[in-house]
Amino acid sequence: MNAAQVLNGVALGSLLMVLSSGLAMIYGLRGVANFAHGALYMSGAYIAYTVSDRFNFWLAILLVPLALAVIGVVLELVFFRPLQHRSHIELGLITFGLALMAERIVVLIWGERTLRVTPPEILQGTTTLLGVEYPTYRLSIIVIALALAAALVLWLRGSRVGLHIRAASQDIETAGIMGVNVDRVSLIVVSLGCALAGLAGTLAAPYIALDPGMGNAFLITVLIVVVVGGIGSIGGAMVAGMGLGVIQTVSTVWSPSFAVVVPYLALTIVLLWRPTGLAGKRVS
Amino acid sequence: MTIFEGRGLTVKYGAVVALEDVDIALEPGVVHGVIGPNGAGKSTFIDALSGRKRPSSGRVLLNGGEITRRSVRWRRGNGISRSFQRTSVFGSMTVGEQLEMVARKNDEPDLDGILGTLGLDEIRDRVCSEIAYGTQRSVDLAIALIGGPRVVLLDEPCAGLVADESVRMLQHVRDLCKERDVAALLVEHDVDGVFRTCDVITVLDLGKVLATGDPAQVRADEKVIRAYLGSAA
Amino acid sequence: MTTTAPLDDITESMLEGPAPGRRPRGTLIGLGVGVVVLFAGLAVPYVITDTYRMSLLLDATILSLMALGIGFLARHLGQISLGHGAFFGVAAYGVGVATTNWGWSPTAAVGFAVLAGTAISLVMGVLVVRASGFGFLMLTLALSQALYSLSVQTSARPLTGAHDGKLLSYDREMTFLGLTQADVMNPGLFWPFAWIALTACAMVLWLVGRSPFGTTLEGIRENEERMRFSGYDTFLPRLTAFVLSGAVASLGGALFAINAGYVSPEILGFTTAGDSLIAALIGGFGMLAGPVLGTFLFVYAQANFNFGGNLHLFTGIALIVVLVFMPGGITGAFQKLWRRVRRSRR
Repeated sequence: MNAAQVLNGVALGSLLMVLSSGLAMIYGLRGVANFAHGALYMSGAYIAYTVSDRFNFWLAILLVPLALAVIGVVLELVFFRPLQHRSHIELGLITFGLALMAERIVVLIWGERTLRVTPPEILQGTTTLLGVEYPTYRLSIIVIALALAAALVLWLRGSRVGLHIRAASQDIETAGIMGVNVDRVSLIVVSLGCALAGLAGTLAAPYIALDPGMGNAFLITVLIVVVVGGIGSIGGAMVAGMGLGVIQTVSTVWSPSFAVVVPYLALTIVLLWRPTGLAGKRVS
Repeated sequence: MTIFEGRGLTVKYGAVVALEDVDIALEPGVVHGVIGPNGAGKSTFIDALSGRKRPSSGRVLLNGGEITRRSVRWRRGNGISRSFQRTSVFGSMTVGEQLEMVARKNDEPDLDGILGTLGLDEIRDRVCSEIAYGTQRSVDLAIALIGGPRVVLLDEPCAGLVADESVRMLQHVRDLCKERDVAALLVEHDVDGVFRTCDVITVLDLGKVLATGDPAQVRADEKVIRAYLGSAA
Repeated sequence: MTTTAPLDDITESMLEGPAPGRRPRGTLIGLGVGVVVLFAGLAVPYVITDTYRMSLLLDATILSLMALGIGFLARHLGQISLGHGAFFGVAAYGVGVATTNWGWSPTAAVGFAVLAGTAISLVMGVLVVRASGFGFLMLTLALSQALYSLSVQTSARPLTGAHDGKLLSYDREMTFLGLTQADVMNPGLFWPFAWIALTACAMVLWLVGRSPFGTTLEGIRENEERMRFSGYDTFLPRLTAFVLSGAVASLGGALFAINAGYVSPEILGFTTAGDSLIAALIGGFGMLAGPVLGTFLFVYAQANFNFGGNLHLFTGIALIVVLVFMPGGITGAFQKLWRRVRRSRR
């Protein structure tokens, strides 16, 4: 095992971190386990491919989160808000249906072939770090993701909207009674969550090849990360995402069979030992 | 004679002391009322006695034996049952179905008797969520009475009932208690009803016992009048 | 009236079913209907001579066993499981391993497979049954995905064939309850076994639902706290229901493997379990016939609407439409209609 493998783990962890923070926000606030999160990530990656192909990658980083935020607005206004009195499982199943549709639509538009996105010139090649030659692009994923995580945490803790979000994630009824505009906060949270998924997809595109199964592959892992990190705890999800990414990548070296079950093992242990997750409120 | 006791019960929710050093002793055939203003700790008291909430300190005893840590299931199996302030029944089942279900688990020789006394025999086949609220309260009570428990803890059985329903409910409680020689604890808001129905009364305020005694004693007690009855007596 | 069913569990609207109250007369009528359906179904191969259509019906019947298990759990425990693919799949692989690796006869293999699948459901049940709502869903999903991941590992190749799947092979003399290896793949000949299995399991589950045990499950689903305060244990009944539904799914998996002669890892995964869940949901959880109906519709749709691989687009749309407008599924909608007609007649 060497530094490159650890860095790979950190890179994967970074992607998981960004993805799971979005999912955690939506779950914490609306109570919906967004089964469409993998599909959102995938859509982000595919849209990034097209934008990157026509124009350039930097524009993709800008446009894709915006596009996904719009999708988030639609999700909130068409599904989550009108159906907020239905049980959370039913809403989750609806997102499941949306995921099925989205996956098919992506294939209809972009086809089944595996696609590749080339990273921008500046980020190609390798950089020497910790005595290893490491692909620059992957380093940039780590840097961007960590910067984003820091910004998100600062915003949540420092701003008024952030306070409202945290309050509503803790206890949506009381927050509403205390004067928090729950509808407005939900809109922000859901579109932000989707934007983050799109950003994760964009970042992942030059690193991981694009194929129609990429959403599903990550979905379960991200759901597990959110549960392990703690329902409603965005910080917890981030830490769990990074942790799981590193542990899984590193243990692949030692035993691929074990590495593959790491997330499932983590989920089972956490849910049985601490149903709240490592840092959150009760799952059930 | 004391069959069920709470000694020095203290319940804390974080820093909030909901109940502090409360004692109570229940005897068979005696209806023991508990009254007190809102926030006095009445619900917490029943939760601690019934096993729903583990007290921070203090003991619960059955026939002199310590049962503080025993589960809710164990208690029911050993003759301690409770009813609920917020009606806790099985809405989608018929009245008969749910009472039979409870009777299966707790041998009840005379289910029809209980149904009769509470006026439930005519609606045996009605779905519980479709009957009047007052009748649902009676079902809630019936569930607690099945199987001949020796100790019955009743949490505001009259909650949500109109005046005459309330009078009837308390009369049922007293009748059933005397008939079956049950040690009954009756937490209630309806002060007049409690004075009418109970043999012994404990007054709680801010988690502590203000006074315990028969209705006449309690009514005359200085502390009680000042804290509670002053406006209502 | 309060229940303690948390917002995470499925709402009553999804469980739109027959009116409550279990009369002995109703049980006898139901059993009678079941027996008639069983015998009527046995005549199907004589009516449908087209092999393709027959094989579709057979596939639907076998898959219905998994959906039946899922539906039973949803109806009586109020829990949605994404883990039944694990039992179906483990049983299927069980048949594969027992015949191909150990040289057992297909009949013995099926017996073993059902036991194996049921054992897995026992293990999963112990871990899962205390959780509710989302936790339950996640655990069932995670545990079955874990099994899938393990089965596609190269180290698992001798047992499962990894990504290539497992081709069954057994002695040409060995038969499955009288059918040869060639015969079991013939839909018309295999049909009676699958059909009897389906109707028998459906009747058993139906009887269980109407029994005092079924009432206990309903009590636990509706108001677990009061059940405990009434002296009932809530863990064992739930576990029993889970294992029972797992056993039914396992039987489906075993029959599937014998009939297909080949097991691919996909049946252990999330997609198959998801499809079965969707089919069961669309059919409706309120009645046992719901998941079966949903599965038949799904298989039909898969055969006819899958041009260009668009099946999942349509199932996604159907799922959303049903969830939003008729959460009780198709059978739920019929129940509502029936009740309205009866009420207007009075």
